[in-house]
Amino acid sequence: DEGSYEHGGKGDFIEHACRYCGVANPACVVRCNMPSCRKWFCNSRGNTSGSHIVNHLVRAKHKEVCLHKDSPLGETILECYNCGCRNVFLLGFISAKTESVVVLLCREPCLSNNALKDMNWDLSQWCPLIDDRCFLQWLVKIPSEQEQLRARQISAQQINRVEELWKMNPDATLEDLEKPGVDDEPQPVVLKYEDAYQYQNVFAPLVKLEADYDKMMKESQSKDNLTIRWDIGLNKKRIAYFVFPKEDNELRLVPGDELRLRYSGDAAHPAWQSVGHVIKLTAQEEVALELRANQGVPVDLNHGFSVDFVWKSTSFDRMQGAMKTFAVDETSVSGYIYHHLLGHEVESQIVRNALPRRFGAPGLPELNASQVFAVKSVLQKPISLIQGPPGTGKTVTSAAIVYHMAKQGQGQVLVCAPSNVAVDQLSEKISSTGLKVVRLCAKSREAVSSPVEHLTLHYQVRHLDTSEKSELHKLQLLKDEQGELSSSDEKKYKSLKRATEREILQSADVICCTCVGAGDPRLSNFRFRQVLIDESTQSTEPECLIPLVLGVKQVVLVGDHCQLGPVIMCKKAARAGLAQSLFERLVLLGLKPIRLQVQYRMHPSLSEFPSNSFYEGTLQNGVTINERQSTGIDFPWPVPNRPMFFYVQMGQEEISASGTSYLNRTEAANVEKIVTTFLRSGVVPSQIGVITPYEGQRAYIVNYMSRNGALRQQLYKEIEVASVDSFQGREKDYIILSCVRSNEHQGIGFLNDPRRLNVALTRARYGIVILGNPKVLSKQPLWNSLLTHYKEHECLVEGPLNNLKQSMVQFQKPKKIYS
Amino acid sequence: DDDVQIRQKAAEIDPREAAEFDRELRALMQESLESRKSDLRARPTLNMMIPMNVFDGSRDPRAADGESGEETVDEDGGNLGGNKVRVKVLVKRGNKQQTRQMFIPGDCSLVQSTRQKEAEELEE
Ligand SMILES: [Zn+2]
Ligand SMILES: [Zn+2]
Ligand SMILES: [Zn+2]
Repeated sequence: DEGSYEHGGKGDFIEHACRYCGVANPACVVRCNMPSCRKWFCNSRGNTSGSHIVNHLVRAKHKEVCLHKDSPLGETILECYNCGCRNVFLLGFISAKTESVVVLLCREPCLSNNALKDMNWDLSQWCPLIDDRCFLQWLVKIPSEQEQLRARQISAQQINRVEELWKMNPDATLEDLEKPGVDDEPQPVVLKYEDAYQYQNVFAPLVKLEADYDKMMKESQSKDNLTIRWDIGLNKKRIAYFVFPKEDNELRLVPGDELRLRYSGDAAHPAWQSVGHVIKLTAQEEVALELRANQGVPVDLNHGFSVDFVWKSTSFDRMQGAMKTFAVDETSVSGYIYHHLLGHEVESQIVRNALPRRFGAPGLPELNASQVFAVKSVLQKPISLIQGPPGTGKTVTSAAIVYHMAKQGQGQVLVCAPSNVAVDQLSEKISSTGLKVVRLCAKSREAVSSPVEHLTLHYQVRHLDTSEKSELHKLQLLKDEQGELSSSDEKKYKSLKRATEREILQSADVICCTCVGAGDPRLSNFRFRQVLIDESTQSTEPECLIPLVLGVKQVVLVGDHCQLGPVIMCKKAARAGLAQSLFERLVLLGLKPIRLQVQYRMHPSLSEFPSNSFYEGTLQNGVTINERQSTGIDFPWPVPNRPMFFYVQMGQEEISASGTSYLNRTEAANVEKIVTTFLRSGVVPSQIGVITPYEGQRAYIVNYMSRNGALRQQLYKEIEVASVDSFQGREKDYIILSCVRSNEHQGIGFLNDPRRLNVALTRARYGIVILGNPKVLSKQPLWNSLLTHYKEHECLVEGPLNNLKQSMVQFQKPKKIYS
Repeated sequence: DDDVQIRQKAAEIDPREAAEFDRELRALMQESLESRKSDLRARPTLNMMIPMNVFDGSRDPRAADGESGEETVDEDGGNLGGNKVRVKVLVKRGNKQQTRQMFIPGDCSLVQSTRQKEAEELEE
């Protein structure tokens, strides 16, 4: 037995050696059972407060383990004897009442099953598998003092660093920590660049970092033991429905994502796998996956399937490609735009185009003064920025600009936005001016339903009604019926389809797609002199570049840098500046955005604070108090003409999902009460939005309302509860904001970002209720002024909802701002 | 010069580090629990019968090893102190049940009721 750990501290040659310290005694080690991990760790604490295996499981958020084959229990995956649950944080031993027999049982739901008592099991002495941050010592032994002294002395800090490293490279070793470069920060973005090569040198590594992180995150999301429900779509393709449990990951599936479904095979079925696209996500978090191939699908089976994420580099490749084109192709953008984007001093230019007599467009509402001004100035400049604060009609303004550009006869106009939702909205508006619009969707999203289906290229290809297309239609029908074509027919089908796509695209006045979609090969031979990018403050610079390098001479960036920016998952890339949009950099370079100034969304009482705090008081109200009066709605607003209040909460925050999220039970309970009061007074669920910055609280509120709601469960299920970020760009009649954080000694996290607060405060049309702890929030200057604003208007209240009283809670002095 | 004196290092644990680790561990536990509680899908049915062969002659915890159908590992090389209790750990391999023997410290709450039973039985 000695030999098994004779190699001493390093353990380089023994597979089952603890990856932290090298101890390799089979009785002392367990293997992490996460498929992407499978590393061994020992049960000694070394220099840390938890044992090595517990340290690993906690840091990596892995939850399953397997014992060594030479350990007393032999090679065993630890799981609940009753239900098979393998989460070691839920497992513990129970013993039989009369026998010396023990089994592992999960705490939830099995341990709470009282029927077990009648079955001779003693539930009173459940003994957790992990106790005092260590596995039960009689199950996984602690290495002897001797063994521990000969092992590598790893510190908690080294553990954290190597765990970070493993997220990117699962095979990394502790020695890699010492290698130069691993912890190096990438070169940060700057304001001005010498040339497009320097630009590429700075951004390419950041895009690579983000791509690597994205890949790692997505590929670590394999799930086993899924139960499948089979269906057939209208296009005769197989659809697999299943619940994709999301635990502590930050990623959520979106339509268009590619997944691989697998079955490992059994006596009656060969192993099988197929790739498919997510076409729908139901409210019950059920995923609909449309499979690519219909052959051999084991539709007689429902259990034991696995699913993996298929990561695609497409979007990152297109960003890298755009930067390269920007550098090497002189015709990619006009000289003026080239220098301006790089921050060089350039003489200002005027675009000499005849201006239209009126700036509105058919099919659109009349433009207000600031919108007319925006359209007029944009049409005369090669580069312009339009800032559209919440509810100021930036989609209408954008559509009017595109209309006039298209009428100038400069060729087709390209219209982009980072998100599909925004592209759809804009396509619809532009189409209503009478222009011929084609909405180009990614191939993977063709099966995803869209509100502008009739504008999409794939729809138009299928429904183009001319005689010469009948051949294509025949082949299409055949393909739909049989699932596939003979190779010669397939060839014919593809070339006919390509020709038809090209024809439709060429006859369009305007082509709309996402920024990444502008890199679609189907557009590679197209040139666009005029490009408009909506929501440009939500895309990264390299993403924004994709639509620009197709020959742009006139560009309009629409957005609002006072609302949320692009989401960057990799912290290192974000720190280096990838999260700064091109719009923002151009503002910093001195390009003044044209601001739309009249808001048509919020009750004037609701727009007052955001206007003063984020837009220098320039936001005017295009709606009156009367237009935003909720008649017939009996809700206890403390001040009748001010549909807003800050509801003082003193409940404790708790740490929730994965240690990075929080929840607050008191606030959740009060959210339910407020929602119920709204519903009772006649508000319908679709009018209400609950916003909370934390996923932990989001999940808790959804669950709490559906279990404890005073009214029908279904009503609560229809209410949208989401993060601030996912409400950006949208509105609800009533917004309830649950702030969650309530710890005096810690920061307020997410809520510290003024842009997030701006978005949260500007979603409501008729009324807003904010739940939070003023004592904690008032430390932050912006929140302090928000609280003061509510207090001055007698809208800071406490007590039961049916008897709200002015709150006398004392605010704290705000910390100084440094910015 | 192979004779190295190793001074026992007092394990220095950074209290902030420890607090942070504790927080993450508790979060993981709580989140695991919440995720199971909020799982509204069908609750598992009970599948906890003790297979009959476990009962065979096993009333006496000091019964001889080597019963049929069981694999035993006598850990600690027979150095079985009086403070350890032998138990059978029941595990499932696929749908098959298996038992393995293990030794649990006598003061472990898990075996206390068993010990009590034994004591009562001995008295009888
Ligand atoms: Zn692991
Ligand atoms: Zn170790
Ligand atoms: Zn269980």
